[in-house]
Amino acid sequence: MFFELIARNSKRSRKENGLFFTTLLVSVVAFYIILSLSRQDVMLFLRKMESDAVNRLLSMIPVFYVLTLVVLFFLIYFASKFQLERRRHEFGMYLMMGMTRNRLFVLLLAEDVRSSVIALLIGLPAGVLLSELISLVTARLVGLGIIGHRFTLSLYAVLLTAAGFFLIKLAAFLILSAKISRQEIGSLLSEKPEETKKQHPAFVYGLALLAGVLCLGTAYYLAIRGMSWTQIRTMGLTLLLGFAGTLLFFYGLRYIFDLIIKGGKKDRRLHIFNVRQLQENVVRKSATMAVTSLLILGALCCFGAGVAIAVSYGQSEPHVMDYTFIPEYTDEPNQEQGASDILDTLHKAGLDTEFSRLFKMKIGRIRTTDILTEDDFENAYSMDDVMEQIAGFPASDDKDVLLNTLSFADYPYLISLSGYNELLRAAGLPEIKLGKDEAAVYMDSTYVNEKRLEIMDSVLAKHPEAKIGGNPVKLTGKVQTTAVVTDYSITLSFALILPDDAFQYYTQDQYDIYVNGVLDSSTTEKTGLMQAISGMNERLNGTGLYYESYLQNMGRQLFYMVAASYITIYLAVIFLIVANTVIGVQFLMNQQRTNRRYRTLIKLGAGYETLCGSAKKQINWYFGIPVLAAAVSSLFAVRALFTGILSSRTQGTIGEMLGISAAMILVLCVIECIYMTAVKRSSNRYLLTLMAPEREE
Amino acid sequence: MKTILEIDSLKKYYGKQGSQTKALNGITFQVMEGEFLGIMGSSGSGKSTLLNCIATVIEPSSGRILMKGREIHSLKGKKLAQYRGREIGYLFQNFELIDNLTGRENIMLPMSLHNVSDGESQKRLSRLASYLEITDVLDKFPAQMSGGQKQRVAAARALIMDPGIILADEPTGALDSKNAKTLMKKLSGLNEEENATILMVTHDSNAASYCKRILFIQDGQIFHELRRDTPEETRQEFYERILKVMSQLGGGSANVL
Repeated sequence: MFFELIARNSKRSRKENGLFFTTLLVSVVAFYIILSLSRQDVMLFLRKMESDAVNRLLSMIPVFYVLTLVVLFFLIYFASKFQLERRRHEFGMYLMMGMTRNRLFVLLLAEDVRSSVIALLIGLPAGVLLSELISLVTARLVGLGIIGHRFTLSLYAVLLTAAGFFLIKLAAFLILSAKISRQEIGSLLSEKPEETKKQHPAFVYGLALLAGVLCLGTAYYLAIRGMSWTQIRTMGLTLLLGFAGTLLFFYGLRYIFDLIIKGGKKDRRLHIFNVRQLQENVVRKSATMAVTSLLILGALCCFGAGVAIAVSYGQSEPHVMDYTFIPEYTDEPNQEQGASDILDTLHKAGLDTEFSRLFKMKIGRIRTTDILTEDDFENAYSMDDVMEQIAGFPASDDKDVLLNTLSFADYPYLISLSGYNELLRAAGLPEIKLGKDEAAVYMDSTYVNEKRLEIMDSVLAKHPEAKIGGNPVKLTGKVQTTAVVTDYSITLSFALILPDDAFQYYTQDQYDIYVNGVLDSSTTEKTGLMQAISGMNERLNGTGLYYESYLQNMGRQLFYMVAASYITIYLAVIFLIVANTVIGVQFLMNQQRTNRRYRTLIKLGAGYETLCGSAKKQINWYFGIPVLAAAVSSLFAVRALFTGILSSRTQGTIGEMLGISAAMILVLCVIECIYMTAVKRSSNRYLLTLMAPEREE
Repeated sequence: MKTILEIDSLKKYYGKQGSQTKALNGITFQVMEGEFLGIMGSSGSGKSTLLNCIATVIEPSSGRILMKGREIHSLKGKKLAQYRGREIGYLFQNFELIDNLTGRENIMLPMSLHNVSDGESQKRLSRLASYLEITDVLDKFPAQMSGGQKQRVAAARALIMDPGIILADEPTGALDSKNAKTLMKKLSGLNEEENATILMVTHDSNAASYCKRILFIQDGQIFHELRRDTPEETRQEFYERILKVMSQLGGGSANVL
């Protein structure tokens, strides 16, 4: 009998609080996925190459886990409190009928454990499945191939998820049930009186609203101008201003409601009733609304940051070469012999056929003036013409950066044209044609962005004159940015591409040679780039050659992408579900507490549809206000975030940023719609129960 | 005089056969225009069921209710809403004011509910408010009003749409005697001066003495009817006649051992 009661009660509470139960499920899934990160194919693979970074990331996971446990604890506490409050009367009846307090406690505990076990039983398999799916999809996306995939069940993650989940559920339960079971039967049976809040004069709220907007404005100004990112103190100030601003804004919001009510819009379809209901909620819970709004903002920022990082590491550099071989160091002035040895070795090992292209990249420095003995830096290279022209452009940050970069380019690297053209062919780009006494400009893509390239190209279009070792050279063509070697961390801020004869002359035949290789597309397509390079690396290790492969670059990119997307999406999901559940549960709680009002409306002749329509409007606004505030804030916040975390090159255009913001807001809208529909459905169900006439004598 | 409301052999049974409760067991009566009709009876006699049937909150098992000659249980959708909003005004024992709306907003609620434009009703509101002496509480919330003020605000709400009939369910039930007296005076004043038709269910013989006619109900049937001989009979005399009938209700002294 007792167990039947437990089963029935727990089933009822799951049904009545579907929203809350779903949130628990989602949090179980999220817990498992973040905890099993170390078992993902991509992570297993990356661990081989970027073990330091991966291990650091993995060591941070428990911190995230504990942090979210704390956040979820408050959510569970809050939602359970609502559930128990609703059942006060029922508990009072149990006690009246002679159930001991201990027995009641056991009843509640058993119900709670039962719900938790069911949440875990559904949530864990879902988590395992989803994490496998993510693993497969990411592996496929980065070309790791499905062959390497193994089904992994992380027992560690399962246990930690279950333990953490039980821990917070139990803690919340113990605190709440202690509170409930200490109350008198009489107070349990009677309805809780509503607390009234003190009202201040209207101008106080108006002032709060104004101050809130000012605080928010200042915070965003500081963040977008980049001032917040220079010092921890200003960052703290920015955050404080933002937080206080949001709180004040929501506190002052009732001023706007007063204006709406006094505004004398025609009171149709319960307009005033809806506004009053909203006003009451906002007045009563302005701090909670502000916090939920901040949580949603946090989620949006996480999405934004994740996307930004992924974008900047994901597509920043076009991938042309797979390998760069480096000749062993010799005393020879140039390394022609070493380069030939490399090609020989590859041929002997039968590896040269795996490459579709193998070509030499010659890079050297100006040797015609002996700078070491004569200290003649200034005469090595100068391009006053270029500098003057750039200085003539209208003032902008990009112009200043460019001038600064180029002012250091007084002893540039030289690149031979033939090697560079090979590279351009491999990249499928048009080759450069240079006449005698002409040079093209190379700048690594790290140092330029679209705006700077525009400035440089327009300068180069006028064929300005530069001087190499006192000899005039015409700069021509467009700025070249295709990287000269595989390793992206080797960058040249400014270099000159010279025709081979000129190159030989200025370098005085002293230069380095790198042998670049592009893998045959048939191999890469068969197994995926990652596998192909991995396989080739193993074979190359037998030959004793020094090489850099694209794998390192890719590994680094992958790591940042995976790490950023995992952590940020995880946090965003947690923030979103917490915020939405708080809003939803609060609305439903308030609706039930004020059920008298709905009953009155029914008695005055309101139909079921009218009430549902009114509730629907209230829900739209109740969700809409914090979400809207967060969405507006996110437009600024994401911009500020981009200012702070992205290098100038990857900041991208305003259009791109707007695109990212729009995509995020779209995702947010979909999630909000799901939540709002769920809340509307349970609100409608509740309103239906009110429709039956109650008898009171 | 015109008949406004006609109740014809109305029955309402609760529960299944075998354990059936006959809340209304074939009641028939009529309410004339400008009448102030009281319905009295003990707990469980079927008063509230009757009122709920008229207000279309519940559906009768059989019988007919005609409002101005139209059968109300055939009304659907818009016409039903129209009926609830325009034809009847409801006055409750516990006022049923919405606590987060001001007096004015509460009074205007039926207009909002039934999407009536408020140009005309503003004038009506101020007239009603001054008659019911609630002008100075119009912008206050129910928590800031006294019980009597609350019920008078509720009365204004019941009257704002100028309904054909006012249904009052124990309107003085939650009021002290002084406030109850004020309310009843106002109601009977409305009946006398504005020719408002009022159907009032009550326990309170004192309140009932303001009526022109009283029906006594017992076990779902009409048990007795009293008519005040206006203007010869004073309210005091009528009150005593009511008390006499009340003592007969439930079988009178015959049931007392």
